[in-house]
Amino acid sequence: MAKRRRNGLSRRSLLKGASALAMTSLAGPWLVGRAGAAGATLRAGITGYDVINTLDPGKATLIPEYYVIWAIFNGLLKFDEKMEIVPDLAESYKVEPDGSLEFKLHANVKFHDGSAMTSEDVKFTLERLLDDKFASPNRSKVSAIDQVTAVDPTTVRIKTKEPFAPLLTFLTNARTGTQILPKGAVEQMGAEAFGRKPIGTGAFMVKEWTAKERVALEASPHYFYQGLPKLGAVEMPLIPEESSGVTALLGNQIDLTSTAPFADVPELEKRTDIRVFRQAGLNTRFIALNHRKPPFDDVHFRRAVSLAFDREAMVKVVLFGEGVSSHGLIPPSLKFAYDPKPRELTTFNAARAKEELAKSKYKAGTEAAILTWGAGWWKRVAEVWTAQVNQTLGTVLRVEVTEANTVYARQRAGDFQGSVWGWLGFVDPDEYLYDVLYSKGYRNFQGYSNPKLDDLLVKARQELDRGKRGQLYKEAEAMMIEDMPIVPCFCSNVHNLASTKVSGFVQLPYSNYGDTFQSISIA
Amino acid sequence: MPLWRRRLGALVRNRTALAGAVIMAVVLAGITLGAELMPYSAVDMDFANILSPPSWAHPLGTDSFGRDVLTRVLYGGRISLLISFAGVLIAAAAGTLTGMASAYHGGLTDAALMRFSDLLFAFPSFVLALFLMVVLGFGVQNVILAIALVYFPIFARLARNTTLLIKEEPFVQAARLMGQGALRILFREILPNIAAPLVVQASVGVAFGIVIEAGLSFLGLGVQPPIPSLGVIMADGREYFQRGPWVLTLTGLVISIALLGLNLLGDGLRDLTDPRLRRQAEL
Amino acid sequence: MSRAAAISWRFLGIALTVLVGAFAVFMVMKAAPGDPALVVLGEQAPPEAVAAFHQRYHLDAPVLEQFWLWFVAALGGDFGRSLTIAGGTSISGLIAARLPNTIFIGLYALILGVIVSLAMGTIAALRRGRVADTVATSIAVLGISMPDFWLSYVLVFAFALGVGWFPSYGFVSPGQSLSGALYSGFLPAVAISAPMAAVFARTLRAALLELAHREFVTVARSFGFAEVFIFLHFVFRNALIPYVTVIGLQVRYLLGGVVVIERIFGIAGVGSLMVDAAFGRDYPVVEACAITFLVIVLGVNFLVDLACTFLDPRRAN
Repeated sequence: MAKRRRNGLSRRSLLKGASALAMTSLAGPWLVGRAGAAGATLRAGITGYDVINTLDPGKATLIPEYYVIWAIFNGLLKFDEKMEIVPDLAESYKVEPDGSLEFKLHANVKFHDGSAMTSEDVKFTLERLLDDKFASPNRSKVSAIDQVTAVDPTTVRIKTKEPFAPLLTFLTNARTGTQILPKGAVEQMGAEAFGRKPIGTGAFMVKEWTAKERVALEASPHYFYQGLPKLGAVEMPLIPEESSGVTALLGNQIDLTSTAPFADVPELEKRTDIRVFRQAGLNTRFIALNHRKPPFDDVHFRRAVSLAFDREAMVKVVLFGEGVSSHGLIPPSLKFAYDPKPRELTTFNAARAKEELAKSKYKAGTEAAILTWGAGWWKRVAEVWTAQVNQTLGTVLRVEVTEANTVYARQRAGDFQGSVWGWLGFVDPDEYLYDVLYSKGYRNFQGYSNPKLDDLLVKARQELDRGKRGQLYKEAEAMMIEDMPIVPCFCSNVHNLASTKVSGFVQLPYSNYGDTFQSISIA
Repeated sequence: MPLWRRRLGALVRNRTALAGAVIMAVVLAGITLGAELMPYSAVDMDFANILSPPSWAHPLGTDSFGRDVLTRVLYGGRISLLISFAGVLIAAAAGTLTGMASAYHGGLTDAALMRFSDLLFAFPSFVLALFLMVVLGFGVQNVILAIALVYFPIFARLARNTTLLIKEEPFVQAARLMGQGALRILFREILPNIAAPLVVQASVGVAFGIVIEAGLSFLGLGVQPPIPSLGVIMADGREYFQRGPWVLTLTGLVISIALLGLNLLGDGLRDLTDPRLRRQAEL
Repeated sequence: MSRAAAISWRFLGIALTVLVGAFAVFMVMKAAPGDPALVVLGEQAPPEAVAAFHQRYHLDAPVLEQFWLWFVAALGGDFGRSLTIAGGTSISGLIAARLPNTIFIGLYALILGVIVSLAMGTIAALRRGRVADTVATSIAVLGISMPDFWLSYVLVFAFALGVGWFPSYGFVSPGQSLSGALYSGFLPAVAISAPMAAVFARTLRAALLELAHREFVTVARSFGFAEVFIFLHFVFRNALIPYVTVIGLQVRYLLGGVVVIERIFGIAGVGSLMVDAAFGRDYPVVEACAITFLVIVLGVNFLVDLACTFLDPRRAN
């Protein structure tokens, strides 16, 4: 009350005083202190996502969960900078002719709580994933395993029912869920508590985790690679908008981003105060078509919509050139299984498209809803696709925007006609084709079933020779394109942005993040 | 001089209201005619011209699909205005009826209706609108409904309070004594006398309704593609802000000008119709 | 009616409103399509897991029972656990962590708005009709006419990325560092306060002008009181009543309308929490946020009423 009784002059000086106060707080010591070399803190933003539900690899499904998991756990194996599979927790490994594997583990590995890692932990981890009652979403990665034997504290033998070629890949520290967990701690804490306070063998431990806001990591003193990690701590704020991530980096609030908006990449590359990492990514984006409902229950209609749009234009408009058009599900980076020859049914051809339309049950004027979500490029894919197809064929396809979880739920329930979808971070061709196109594949939301393709895919899983395996996948793709169960669109580049102070960041095409923190240092 | 002539004269003499009316006239003209006059389509994509800066060919530049921003803004303005107008109209109709009935009957009805209205009002407007969109689903109709629900309590309260004042006036008592039915009294005697502040409130409401719709569409919850609304255009502009800041900035500027017109008009009307401020209005 | 009794009645009214409001929100959420089980369990959720989820969170019990269970727990301060966020985070914890941020930004914006509007409104009224008035009024009207999220982008563009005076993203919680919060919160606070300051200034100006011509002012002048004294004691003090009322009304806008701003600047507040939770059909979180908003808004209205009573003893309620 007294404040209001001052006369007008004082009010003006109050205003002056307030602005002076604002100015002094500008000079205030606010920037997070960053010391010199050792013990430095890296601010690695998780951009484009803000949901992390669990940090238990056995239950993790979302890519931001893996970003963190890769920093706090290790797998038996990992990918090196040439995308070759190299040992991680294992010191060496042997592949027997029947496909079973024997791993020799490092002897001196400790978990974050100080306990030693042994073959018992490996056995526990894999059996937990296989356990039906545990219901792990990553079970299919290890479902071929028949038996895990802990021969001695540093030796593990894994036997499969049949030869299973992708197994080595699925035991890496990638988007696999097979990261090794401490048996004692998990049994003691229970799965839920463990998911919130994870304990692993990785270079970093979770110091603090505020849901939807940030994850704070600190260096583990027990890390078995000598001299690593170079950093003392990592701050990972969750930034739901990709563009906000860019402004945060440019404004020096963070040092590293996990993604970058496609549109900004060319401009950002011109700048000298940040570094742009980009390469072709291991991912696939397509239009999923529901075979159980009109109009996509007709193979000629499906072919028509694939012929009716220009993928190059889509890459230019949606990705601003940051990607390549695709004519199948397998991305170009998986060279051994990728067939670069263009395919007729996935090349824009208006006349041919109209021919296919004429052969189908449905004509111009057919309506359908294409599900998509968000405000970003996923939505644009739907907009560009429907606009082009409608223009070429005269159909009336419309875009239905909801949110990502709803699209996923509706696809799984078969309650859709078409939807924009895709997968990111898959490292083996089996993940791309088997899961999505096998009749009982757990990512086959289309209701597609082709027994000849099924046989081919099962054969490819069991073929241990890489060259022969690759050939089988090429055949499989050529076969499935005739049926057009999904409309392949493109494969996008992966991007990371880093301030020039960051060195040692290695970008891998499967959208890695946390795994590379151990070798990063800040100038 | 007939009443309407006098009123119009007062409007013209009040500089604020005049400025507002002029701006609104320009905006309305642009929205109704301009969109048709533009050589570009608001919807068709032009991949060769993505995100080009303002030029003679494209005064407001092009968006991320190569569409002319000015054309989209003109169409979008029409849609946003219609949505907001529809929402406020429903709110005004429902709210006024509720408020008048509430004040006239008094007692328990009054208490109950006003409690309900207050309940709606206790929620922050945007949160209420947002909540409804997520529950009902996105799209034009639900945006209109959301705006209507947000504004309903304001009209209800206003109508009730002004009706309470008028209710005791002699001419209303006279009508009652003469045996006129309640409905007739409400519509013939009371409504014309409370209309003025309601109209002012409506003009403010339409302005804010546009902002609410823009906000909802900005978040992706409102109007669906490829229909443009001002919020949709700004959402697109925000997505590509680094590369093409003109889309968001200029669209927002256009909205601001339109809202400025609405607000000035509302101000002027308030000055003209509020008897207490009438003296100040005649500057 | 005695003041104590009147206050108690108001309090009871507020409690009832909160109960009915919570119920209304609950029912509306239930009626909406979507199943949180699918959201949480995600991939490969077998029907048994979905059923187990429903059982565990009482999602298969009769609706009234579900509401009652929840409400009773909430009264004890336990809002339960989130269905979707990080496998069951305590909701009270989430809100407790976020509410200070929302309140800080809100107060920051409010204070900025009050300061600016006190200056502008008073100047405009004192210099009515002259250049200063037209300028001030025009700025005020412009302030209302801008979508606040547009203004925040313009601000970021100009002041953060352009001249680099302020951070473009990221909010330092006041708990961590007060000076950090003041610095990183400046741009969002300005963006939010602009339309509010405009409304406040216009209200103050209109009230001052209206009161200046009242009879009691002429009477006081004829008694020979100094102009300044008349202005402060009679005009300004009474003008504060509608001014303070309007400030109270703006709290609703502060709490909810800043959702988009929270998103743009990365402020971990209650508004964005509610929106995200609604997307994920996370019923308990949405309830809790709704109650929080209700309680704050009703509480502020109550306080504003009290303030008005003190400012003008003639008002009965």
